Amino acid sequence: MNIARQILALTAVGVRNIPYRRGNSAVIVIGSACVVAVLLSVLAMATGFERTIQADARPDRVLVITNGMDTEGSSSLSRENADLIQAAPGIKRDSAGKAIASAEVVLVAPVIRRNGSDAYITLRGSDEQLMLVRPELRLVAGRMFRPGLHELIIGQAAQQQFRGLELGKVIRLHDGDWTIVGTFTAGDSVRESEAIADATTVMTAYQLGAYNSTTALLASESSFAMFGQALKRDPSLKVSVMREPDYLELVSGSIHRWLKSVAYLIGCIMGIGALFGALNTMYSAMASRQNEIATLRALGFSPVAIVSAIVLEAVLLSLVGAFVGIAMAYAAFNGQAINTLGGSLWDTQIVYTLSVSPPLVLLAIALAGSIGILGGLFPAIRSIRSTIVDALRAP
Amino acid sequence: MNSFTLAWANLWRKPVRTVLTALSIAMAFLLIGLLQGVNAGFAESIAKARRDVLTTDPRLRGSPPMPIAMMEQIRKVPGVADVAPRSYFMGDYRTPYTIAAIATLPRAWFKLRRQFRVDESALQAMERTRNGMLVTPAMIKQFGWKVGDQLTLRSRELKADGSGDWSFEIVGVFEALINPDNAFFTLIDYSYLDDARITNRGTVDRFFVRIADPERSIATATAIDTLFTNSSHQTRTRSDQDRAEAESKQMGDIGFFTNAVLGAVLFMILFLTANITRQSFQERISEFGVLKALGFSGGACLRLALTESLSVYLLAAGVGLGLASLLTPLAREIHSAVHVTGAVYLRGMTLALALAIASAAIPCWQAYRLPVAGALSARIS
Repeated sequence: MNIARQILALTAVGVRNIPYRRGNSAVIVIGSACVVAVLLSVLAMATGFERTIQADARPDRVLVITNGMDTEGSSSLSRENADLIQAAPGIKRDSAGKAIASAEVVLVAPVIRRNGSDAYITLRGSDEQLMLVRPELRLVAGRMFRPGLHELIIGQAAQQQFRGLELGKVIRLHDGDWTIVGTFTAGDSVRESEAIADATTVMTAYQLGAYNSTTALLASESSFAMFGQALKRDPSLKVSVMREPDYLELVSGSIHRWLKSVAYLIGCIMGIGALFGALNTMYSAMASRQNEIATLRALGFSPVAIVSAIVLEAVLLSLVGAFVGIAMAYAAFNGQAINTLGGSLWDTQIVYTLSVSPPLVLLAIALAGSIGILGGLFPAIRSIRSTIVDALRAP
Repeated sequence: MNSFTLAWANLWRKPVRTVLTALSIAMAFLLIGLLQGVNAGFAESIAKARRDVLTTDPRLRGSPPMPIAMMEQIRKVPGVADVAPRSYFMGDYRTPYTIAAIATLPRAWFKLRRQFRVDESALQAMERTRNGMLVTPAMIKQFGWKVGDQLTLRSRELKADGSGDWSFEIVGVFEALINPDNAFFTLIDYSYLDDARITNRGTVDRFFVRIADPERSIATATAIDTLFTNSSHQTRTRSDQDRAEAESKQMGDIGFFTNAVLGAVLFMILFLTANITRQSFQERISEFGVLKALGFSGGACLRLALTESLSVYLLAAGVGLGLASLLTPLAREIHSAVHVTGAVYLRGMTLALALAIASAAIPCWQAYRLPVAGALSARIS
């Protein structure tokens, strides 16, 4: 018999015997299921967050903010600056020659979480170009806000996540109640966690004299350099231009990295704990199978085949655990919407859905597989180290 | 020989098994320690925050600053003992350094912010010098300043003469009692800033309010906010404690996940050790039979099995929690609020106790009920 057939035969025997070693086998299955479920759900948060941040980010859409500032919130653009920016070459224009660009302000709107605690979402003041600059925005209910009136539209994700944001309800802002007149979707992007109103109306209400930023669509992706240089040449402008994906990475990168490192730290510690558990289980399983293994060796099975079969059995068990864990994480969390800090301003919430993506599933399977390999290998090697005669004499 | 010596000897019957069990328990408690440490860190900052200091802010962030005249109105609210205004000032010092300054009434401010300490002489110098500035030791070290130095900060905040260059004289030092190495800000006189600036004149962005009776914090806060309900400057007044609590909630739904992770870890560890304990008992049934034949009572056997489980659990949990507090500086890189406090240890050890009893429950019961003859004849299987 060649090695491969020996391994196959031995594994088949081992697997058929699993029902007689229920406790030990269950430890490996449950251990790896727990590790996989935990790692997956925490990573699903990081992945969902990243997906929302980068959803619909377009390289041909740019954000103009004050030089030296790194967020919209801390930037300030005067009306004159905003006009100069809109006149610069490189911006996409409509048939009448009007720039597809919006000068915007960002503020906060108070909301109430489902558990009753307070939170903020971003309140964006924009203009009539809003839907042209951001074609991914679509009104799904109600209508657009009217300039001059205390009206706003709200992202569907925010509406579903927080209390009291239905159509017709009001949000209390600095100078009174603002009515929610419309609901928009934005292809799962970060915009869907925001409320949007007319910039001029918001600025009047808050006595603001300046915008925060300008968002513009470029004529093409390659107009970026032309647009940037035109702004740089103008001595009255002290601004920097960023492509949207770069800006979003800059603003939300740190929270994303944080979520990821928490996920890996937890997964790592749990993985090591489960590995010790698997080792333990396999060691005692091997101890009770000493006779069996010695008999196999006496029958002429090669040590390599015996070790491989034992490792394979451990891997199979931990993979079963991995699938249980994946199923648990998927059923419990995939597609569930949650909110954490990370919106356009430093203390505003972003709503996103957890996502158990295929790469994560592969990662989880790999982790469970390695726990199986390591957990099986050392006990297996130990089990074939004693001489056959001694092992056969063992009680 | 007491039952502990016997239990201890039994544990080392199979050293590999005991060590591996202990290690997986230790890993679980390392994780429990760190996760609980996050909660404890938040809880601690909430508990430490004072209830007798309120802050009054514009009701909504982003609203225009509040007029300084409100200070006198707040002072007259029953229960209010003291009020200090605050305005922020930022200026560049030898680019690229930006220096932040709190413009306030220094004497009142220090009475309200007890986490900062200043000498009386520095306060008096501040009152004598109109453009005086108090700095922290950390800044003195960073910039090589000394008391008496003059410095100019270039700000976007313009003076009435159109210039953005503001000159200050360092008149003294104040100390931050919490995190002194990170205290990088200065204190300047409110009226010096306000008299000279052209925008936002006569306004402040926050009032600090000290109240006489901490038990009345909510009532006093409500009284202040009611005062301005119908004005164009509605306020939001909260105690330091409320603010700390709100901050801890800002992280959003992540708390739910910490609990879910804890649940999974506990379940895994319980299952794992219960199985091992059961197995190790099965192997030793005949040994327990011998003990019983020698006159050990059922209760003694039960105690023996329990002692074994308890020693592994408590020892390993202690190691795990100890490891968690050793790793705290590292964990703070990821989450600044981690603090493995005494309460975390206590809760961890209680958990270990409960898990030890739960995982040894069945073997203990079996040891208690074991018939001598049957046990003696049992083969190790």
